Amino acid sequence: MISIKDLTISYDKQSTVIDSLDLSMEENSIHGIVGLNGAGKTTLLNAIYGLIKMDSGEIHRADQKITKRDISYLTTENYFYSNITGREYIGLFRNVRFDLDKWNELFSLPLDELIDHYSTGMKKKLVLLSILKQDKPVLILDEPFNGLDMETCRIIRSILLRLKEREKTIIITSHIMETLTNLCDYIHYLEYGKIVLTTDKTHFQEFEDTLFKSIENKNIGLITELID
Amino acid sequence: MNGHYMVEAFLKIRFKQLYRGLTGIGLFRIVFLVLLFAYLLLFLFASTKKQPGSLYVAAGTVFIILSLHIRRKDKLFLKTCFEKHTQIYLSEYAALASIVILFLAVHLQWIALLVLLSSIFLIARTDIKPRHLHTLNTKFQSFIPASSFEWKVGIRQSFFIFVPVWIIGFCSSFFIGSVPVALLTLGIIISGFYSQNEPYQMVILYEKSVNRFLYGKIGMQITLFGIVAFPLILIFIVFHSNKWYIPVIEFLILTSIHAYLVLTKYAFYEPNRNSQAAQIIGAIGMVSMFIPVLLPVIWALSVLFYIKSQKNLNIYLHDFH
Repeated sequence: MISIKDLTISYDKQSTVIDSLDLSMEENSIHGIVGLNGAGKTTLLNAIYGLIKMDSGEIHRADQKITKRDISYLTTENYFYSNITGREYIGLFRNVRFDLDKWNELFSLPLDELIDHYSTGMKKKLVLLSILKQDKPVLILDEPFNGLDMETCRIIRSILLRLKEREKTIIITSHIMETLTNLCDYIHYLEYGKIVLTTDKTHFQEFEDTLFKSIENKNIGLITELID
Repeated sequence: MNGHYMVEAFLKIRFKQLYRGLTGIGLFRIVFLVLLFAYLLLFLFASTKKQPGSLYVAAGTVFIILSLHIRRKDKLFLKTCFEKHTQIYLSEYAALASIVILFLAVHLQWIALLVLLSSIFLIARTDIKPRHLHTLNTKFQSFIPASSFEWKVGIRQSFFIFVPVWIIGFCSSFFIGSVPVALLTLGIIISGFYSQNEPYQMVILYEKSVNRFLYGKIGMQITLFGIVAFPLILIFIVFHSNKWYIPVIEFLILTSIHAYLVLTKYAFYEPNRNSQAAQIIGAIGMVSMFIPVLLPVIWALSVLFYIKSQKNLNIYLHDFH
């Protein structure tokens, strides 16, 4: 179990991004984190990975403080060292059992080319390869499907489902609700720095309908006023 | 956009960037840099008095501007956004060379001045694509350990200078000055390997504590430079055994400067962006190769930057204590 207790993060005294957040995530399953822009999704992921200072709170995995040793993290935007090839980048991560060329049959990346020449989607695929090579128990994926073509999205979905079977815990964010409902075992709705709702597979449809209805109701008045 | 306004707006941006860079350096180091700059001005003033000094200074300035022009990454942005982008290059390079231009004019060194001005004009109007846009994979890179990505990239970028310098140094080692000059040139080239910051993922992936990370980086740098320098030092000793200490001392000095550059990089490390403060302070290390009086300062700063690196990297590596 990954448990987050009383997590509070603020960038300055006036703006609290994560506010006394409590969340328990069952291991060996896929968790989706959904929320509007600015809800604090990336901040929460950064906190789990230990990249930002927490004002208060604890994050544990199996009753031990979670560390970077446990986690692989795919960030929304991926930066690389200039003038390095894809093969050299993957070579930085240690795992002798990982057959890069075999894995690359799925992604068809020009591994001996400089990463500077890669498109955004290719860069994302490269980071995914590095995450697969690291073979850590927890995978955090912030918007993993952004900028990827349909085929790659399906491939990654299959990989993630297979990884879950291999006892990995996957935490994923996406703006596309359908992506999450098709993939996740649990979805956690983040609003104003708090998890306001957690739902499992059996209630996804209900959750989606309620969420979309509430967003529509919130804005319909203004939209009607502006267009009419 | 009006050409004059455009150039003015860009120069303002450059001044703001310079200001931001300077504010990251701190008062003590600014004072030190000012003194260093004053020394450089005196040196340039003295060197531009007569020929061939004035020609050397002009050639050096042209070389620096050409390197900047080849490496700058905003060319596409300027080209797509501004019709008269060459005016921006021209004004920036003229501003950069203004002191040298002034000194050459004061000393009536018209030939050197003409060479400098016409070169700036030509460079600004030339669209040179950097060589590193092409992938260069050689056998050399495969011998370099994966963790020394700075060397892999550095060799890729400077292969056609690095290897000839080493070969010329080795083959002409019967001349007493040959190996020391080759070592110095290689040392300068290698100094450039640490100018780029890596993303934090590449810092974390070793899963080492801060101290082990820094020792690992410096240790690998010394080892690789040692492998490059050892045959040169050995052949020098074969031909000039009574002067054995020259390349040995030079190697030790260069090694300490490289360690200083590694520590400077991580003391000011910010993921995904290159710190201007680190680049300016790193330049002191490069200058100390030519002004040995600065070496004790470099060594003292290395200790300071080691402590600063520990604090700075702790954000990323605190899990691995």
